[in-house]
Amino acid sequence: MEFPKILTRFENIPNSRALATYEKHGGYEAARKVLGQKPEEVIALVKDSGLRGRGGAGFPTGLKWSFVPKSADTVYLLCNNDEGEPGTFKDRYILELSPHMLIEGMIIAAHAIGAKKAYIYTRCEFYDEIRWMNEAIEEAYKAGYLGANLLGTKLHIDLDHYIGAGAYICGEETGLISSLEGKKGQPKLKPPFPAVSGYLGKPTIVNNTETLAAVPWIITHGAAAYKAMGTEKSPGTKLFCVSGPVKKPGVFERPLGYPLKKLIFEDAGGMIDGKQLKAVIPGGASAPVLLPAEIETLTLDYEAIAAAGSMLGSGAVMVIPHDQPMMELLRILVNFFHHESCGQCTPCREGTGWLANIVQGVEEKTALPEDIEKLYQIALHMEGRTICALSDAAAMPTKAITKKFADELKQTIYANSRLGG
Amino acid sequence: MDTFAPDLQEKIQSELTRYETPRSAILPVLHLIQDYYEWIQPDHVAWLERDFGLSRVHVQEVATFYSMYRLEPCKPFRILFCDNLVCAMMGAEKVMDKIRDHIGSFPEGKCPFSLQGVPCLGVCDGAPAMLVNKDRHLKVNRDNVDAILASYKV
Ligand SMILES: Cc1cc2nc3c(=O)[nH]c(=O)nc-3n(C[C@H](O)[C@H](O)[C@H](O)COP(=O)(O)O)c2cc1C
Ligand code: SF4
Ligand code: FES
Repeated sequence: MEFPKILTRFENIPNSRALATYEKHGGYEAARKVLGQKPEEVIALVKDSGLRGRGGAGFPTGLKWSFVPKSADTVYLLCNNDEGEPGTFKDRYILELSPHMLIEGMIIAAHAIGAKKAYIYTRCEFYDEIRWMNEAIEEAYKAGYLGANLLGTKLHIDLDHYIGAGAYICGEETGLISSLEGKKGQPKLKPPFPAVSGYLGKPTIVNNTETLAAVPWIITHGAAAYKAMGTEKSPGTKLFCVSGPVKKPGVFERPLGYPLKKLIFEDAGGMIDGKQLKAVIPGGASAPVLLPAEIETLTLDYEAIAAAGSMLGSGAVMVIPHDQPMMELLRILVNFFHHESCGQCTPCREGTGWLANIVQGVEEKTALPEDIEKLYQIALHMEGRTICALSDAAAMPTKAITKKFADELKQTIYANSRLGG
Repeated sequence: MDTFAPDLQEKIQSELTRYETPRSAILPVLHLIQDYYEWIQPDHVAWLERDFGLSRVHVQEVATFYSMYRLEPCKPFRILFCDNLVCAMMGAEKVMDKIRDHIGSFPEGKCPFSLQGVPCLGVCDGAPAMLVNKDRHLKVNRDNVDAILASYKV
């Protein structure tokens, strides 16, 4: 399968993060091209490319940009670089390879939506990456790509870097906005959507790092070239993070629609130590687990994975080996979501608490086999009734594990109970 | 000392005007204070209100909401070990046991390490992963962990 590299085109290029390297390989040419165009033209091109948000939801990027009211005087662009979804490490890789690609994407996006101020919001645990990003921003200012009269135009775009402090919920776009306002990272009720009322009540576009980093290539090569890759409804390439007991874990850029098994067993080298595949989580911790039979012909695009009952999410492919107890993964999942729930909504706060309590009962030998069904029922009632999607993100994988591994989980409870053990 | 060190005051001041509102400076200012004094002390919150006009309530709610702020005295070397899905599958718990042994091997009160399990650190391709203060360590296992910890000396 032949396809151009977009996001990873600086792999194996020495000194890839430096501005000089980026410029040598055509860097900032797309921004130069775009700044002479009308914002509507830029939005139309990105719409036409079919680019969809890479933060998890897959929302069409150009369409989102077009929601900013034309009359708005102050507009903000925020890059969501919080990368907290367990199993995900692709945005980190973009900063490692080419922070300037992100800056250029943000200049283009800011011009398209009329933003004069943009922020990158990065999780604080990315210490090295934060430093690299800061260095790149400084270089870009010095070279006149940011600030007043950038690239010799009348435009003024400022870019700053904001650092989080350890809260998964700040990856949710309205939680991120709360955090940037200097508050607890609590999500806000939608509507109004951020595109209408976001940061400080002003129209705000939040995009994932990978989404924004793909934009310069699309501008340079055109919508048709982007659409030539991937599937009709999921065009372009995507970064997939393969992790778990495989020979070559890492980030792989592949066209959407790429076969999942090929990614795991060829590109990532297959399993280590003769382990067998037990299951795969295809799109981060929130994505329902899939069994080997379910991934036989599965392709990595939004539609195919949804049809298989899971989601492409952030593109985090977690490989689960045959000797991995599912009760342990379930325990980690429910504790994670319980810990990260911001507590505003009852179904999420209490629901994740109940899930965690029941699973805790397994260790304390108080759990009963019928608790597996109870977990499923609780999860069922946590969906679709909260301010943000964290509650759903906790419910979906819980439902899948308790349904697909009910027998194993019940056996674990039995073996661990006073009856069995 | 009844306020922040002068060089820190200067940094705090510039954060206050860096964003659209002073309130947005709360997270960055708390990072600065923590980097300077190792942990955020009740006095610091009071000084932020008295000397810099940042509401004590606003500061306190941020300080307690985010898990990376330390509100109590801490050890010189803080190990944050990822115990999330991938690191768990790759043996995190066993490595953490080894770290607990390492910590237990110091005479009472002399151990410079603390250990805490944390959610995914975004480096699952290097699982199991941990941070020691701001240093990232990947593919930490029972064989290499003692040597890594031995490189940290007070
Ligand atoms: C609980 C939760 C956590 C999220 N974490 C992230 C994250 O770490 N990074 C991210 O880009 N999007 C995250 N999202 C999705 C964002 O809310 C938002 O959809 C995304 O940043 C939009 O960018 P995109 O359109 O470019 O994908 C999260 C959503 C939820 C509900
Ligand atoms: S769903 Fe959960 S995390 Fe989201 S706002 Fe409600 S309580 Fe907070
Ligand atoms: S699960 Fe440990 S770094 Fe991601």
